[in-house]
Amino acid sequence: MTFNLTLSGSDLLLMLPELLLTVWLCVVLIVDFAMPRLPKDRLAYLSVGGLAAVLLNLIWFDRADVTGTLFANMFVVDRLAVFFKIMIVAATILVVLISVDYVRKFRFFKGEYYFLVLMSALGMMFMASANDLLSVFITLEFSTFGFYVLVAYLRDDVASNEAGLKFFILGVFVAGVLAYGISLVFGETGKLVFSDIAAAQPTTGLVIGFLLIFAALGFKIGAVPFHSWIPDTYHGAPTPVTAFLSIAPKGAAFAILLRMFMVSLATLKPAWVLLLVGASILSMTYGNIVAIAQKNIKRLLAYSGIAQIGNILIGLAAGTKMGGDAILFYLLTYLFANLGAFAVVIAVGNLIQSDEIEDYSGLNRRSPFLAMAMLVFLLSLAGVPPLAGFIGKLYIFVAAINEGLYTLLIVGLINIVISMYYYLIVVKKMYINEPIDPSPLYVSAPMKAVIYVGLAGTLILGVYPRPFIDWAVSATLMFSQFAAPAASAVPPAVLPFGG
Amino acid sequence: MADYTLLYILFAPFLGAIVLLFVPNRQALQVRLVAAIAAGISLLASFYLFFAYDPVKGGFQFVQRFEWSKELGIAFYLGVDGIGTPLVLASAILLFAGIFISWHIKDRTKEFYIFLLILAAATIGVFMSLDLFFLYFFYEMSVLPMYVLLGVWGSHTKGYLEMKDPEGLKQRDSVGFIFNFAANSKEYAAMKLTLFLSAGAVVALLGILLIYKFSGLHTFDILVLREQAKFSGNLATIIWLLVFFGFASIAPIWPLHSWSPVGHAAAPAATSMLHAGVLMKLGHFSIIRVAFEILPETTRELMPIAAFLCVFSIIYGGFVAYYAKDTKYVIGYSSSSHMGYVFLGMAALDYISLSGAVLYMFAHALATGMLFAMAGWVYDQTHSRDIPSLGGLVNRMPFVAGCFLVACMASIGMPGTVNFIAEVMILVGSWNRYPFQVIVAVVGIVLTMAYLFRMMRGLFYGPMDSQYSHAHDAVAWYDRLPLLLMIACSITFGIFPGHFYNVIRAGTDPLVSRIMQVVPLAAQNGDALRVTRDASRKQADNVSPVARHPSLVTRHEGTNDL
Repeated sequence: MTFNLTLSGSDLLLMLPELLLTVWLCVVLIVDFAMPRLPKDRLAYLSVGGLAAVLLNLIWFDRADVTGTLFANMFVVDRLAVFFKIMIVAATILVVLISVDYVRKFRFFKGEYYFLVLMSALGMMFMASANDLLSVFITLEFSTFGFYVLVAYLRDDVASNEAGLKFFILGVFVAGVLAYGISLVFGETGKLVFSDIAAAQPTTGLVIGFLLIFAALGFKIGAVPFHSWIPDTYHGAPTPVTAFLSIAPKGAAFAILLRMFMVSLATLKPAWVLLLVGASILSMTYGNIVAIAQKNIKRLLAYSGIAQIGNILIGLAAGTKMGGDAILFYLLTYLFANLGAFAVVIAVGNLIQSDEIEDYSGLNRRSPFLAMAMLVFLLSLAGVPPLAGFIGKLYIFVAAINEGLYTLLIVGLINIVISMYYYLIVVKKMYINEPIDPSPLYVSAPMKAVIYVGLAGTLILGVYPRPFIDWAVSATLMFSQFAAPAASAVPPAVLPFGG
Repeated sequence: MADYTLLYILFAPFLGAIVLLFVPNRQALQVRLVAAIAAGISLLASFYLFFAYDPVKGGFQFVQRFEWSKELGIAFYLGVDGIGTPLVLASAILLFAGIFISWHIKDRTKEFYIFLLILAAATIGVFMSLDLFFLYFFYEMSVLPMYVLLGVWGSHTKGYLEMKDPEGLKQRDSVGFIFNFAANSKEYAAMKLTLFLSAGAVVALLGILLIYKFSGLHTFDILVLREQAKFSGNLATIIWLLVFFGFASIAPIWPLHSWSPVGHAAAPAATSMLHAGVLMKLGHFSIIRVAFEILPETTRELMPIAAFLCVFSIIYGGFVAYYAKDTKYVIGYSSSSHMGYVFLGMAALDYISLSGAVLYMFAHALATGMLFAMAGWVYDQTHSRDIPSLGGLVNRMPFVAGCFLVACMASIGMPGTVNFIAEVMILVGSWNRYPFQVIVAVVGIVLTMAYLFRMMRGLFYGPMDSQYSHAHDAVAWYDRLPLLLMIACSITFGIFPGHFYNVIRAGTDPLVSRIMQVVPLAAQNGDALRVTRDASRKQADNVSPVARHPSLVTRHEGTNDL
């Protein structure tokens, strides 16, 4: 196999967002070194400026429908990749903004923090474009690399060190698993590109290989039973990093999962549906039930995140184009609600130096804005109309019922009620309990901006989701040729009108 | 269509809530005025809606349709028929009254009104939705504000159940709280209510999704589903049971009722009013909209379940209300008992009884709204809801006592109030099919009389404890307005029910005909039978709805059911 690595100018254009970001993160690093007196807040706004340019670039790609592949199909730019990249860059902008206050508390390496965030974002953008197993490995490790450092950033804090160590050891182990899986698949088929593998016959080696790859990606998204790193890492990591970790890498990993299951493994659907149904049921139920017992808001959001991943896996288990649309839309709603919730956690944490749910008592009296925002975000995560989360859940459920996944649907619906309990416990603390210290809390401007963006996104996606649904639908057009409607989990007799 | 009445009714409270976000919290009067104006617009528009609804034309009127998502087959589709119109009116009246009833709330006034407006607007939205998706959307949306309203502005329930842990601190936070029936803190009530209703909603959602899938029409449009969707056999039974019990949990039908009195008792007055007045009717209404419209044949087969359960609702609720010591528990259990009448009227599937059931929903909304308003007033003045310890308040608050008497009369079904007409219609209409249940219902009326007068005597007559000597009457206009509004509506519609009756019949008659005349799938080859039925149906259409004797149809069609 030979790679044709001659690049023309127009080929490079396909990588323009990534190149732009690469240049920009170098700029951020150089500015940090060259101007040591510069307040580090400026670096945050400098990063946001660069990211905004990248975002505009990506929106242009989306509008102009730029598509193409590079490096012998390793790197693909299609609507799906652009969708995920927009999501990742948007999440990064919000994360940089919510970091501003937090970074001030660091004793060292304030400037490098932004550099590492941008670097991780770059890695995840490459993940969204990964089109063969080799680039999956490289981009996954590249994006995780930044996180290893970021998670352990509070070096005086034992919890942060523990989080970093746990994440690192498990992450490295999983990298080995992934490499082994890829080598098995390559050994069986002699191919690496997703669409080439689709033609391969299922052999034992291939199946084991893909199971290993799924385990690695499952680790990345935090699906049960690969979730064990999530609570401690989320708890110990600096909260903005937790926020970043809770959304962006998951989105990027879902880009890969979608390509893998819907393109490479489209013909094997009856086999993997059961796998995904199992992972989904376990994630939802485990995440929700364990979340009930949490006393720390970061841990609560960690477990709720596991449950949300279970919900998203329902869409993947449906394995249709509609399931793909639903996943994309759900990730959008999750982006706003989850980042918003973390923004409130960071704002409160900065002000009262605590992440215990008990300390949220009387938040409504101390800051009606923060309490109302948290209420909206948590209810959106719980899936209450008219908020975005409800539409996301309904979309996923409709996709699942069209494929006849009744067990999954019923478990998902029961889990909505379970999850409502622990979200409402937080609401109860904020609204019903009286504050121990009634002094009012004031929120800083960048924080407020992020919370407003989260609120706007949560409400608009809930009330007027049409343009976003259309966007998700157009982003997954490529799957309509791969998703085989006949290969469904239920016999055709029960399915009068297909998928 | 250029008539945006429904949009005004629905969005005035929502816009009011949004405007309130920008009103400073300290300006309590401004907050109240904004809320009152929003509710007032809604009220006026719904009165217009009620009188502009054309009962001769029938069907769904004031229809608004906006495409919402083609991908999922959802349209923002609003419209009211003879069933929705009175309930929209009831919600608007209770919202308007509720805003004045809560005029004295001082703690976080702004947030209270925001949640109250959202709650009321969401219930109004359910009564207008012609799309299953939006029906569920508004339904679930109306549940959540209840949590905050109960939890923050509610009060701990006392007297009925002994509280082991006065602050309920341990129980409130325990994981197994839902099994902990001894806890009666407001937090417990709020959480129980929310989880019960969410669980019910989720069950109903499963039914709705099954309808969506197995109709194969790729739409949530109730009118399309009604005309074209065909379900049969076990599938229809499963869907019907899911929809019925999902929605009946909010109604609340007997074994699923336990959240409701606790919730009523803990809630602040205006919330109890809306809750008992309209929120509970969401259950009946949604059953009519979804189960009756889309699964008429199954409804005819399975509605005896409701007739069976309503007996327990009526009797159980009545007896508990008689022995309860907490005023709000009395009214709460009385509500859950009275909702049994609505189920009876629905189960009989008769022209008169179903329209009676709809009228009863409206009548009960007003009567129970008044009772809760006054119980709330007494509680505000005395900080007690314990009937044995209260008494003699008639000297302190003659106006409230007078209104309370009227409310009791209305609740009992005194001639002259709209409740009387509704009750008689339910009883007369159900007699042919369910004579036993009618007898039980009459016993229930006697029980109602007993517990309401017992409460009346306990609150307002007898010796008064001197600690209540500071209690005030409702003197200010904003205190009297809501009570007078509800009394006026109850009596006016009780004396002039003509238009009301026609409007409701315009909604229920086609529904009952459809349910009773649907040819069973098994008998579809008997074409001759079908022709005669169609002919008799046409004949029946020519007679005016009032003159038509419905029980004939009931008797003919009902024979193979029971």
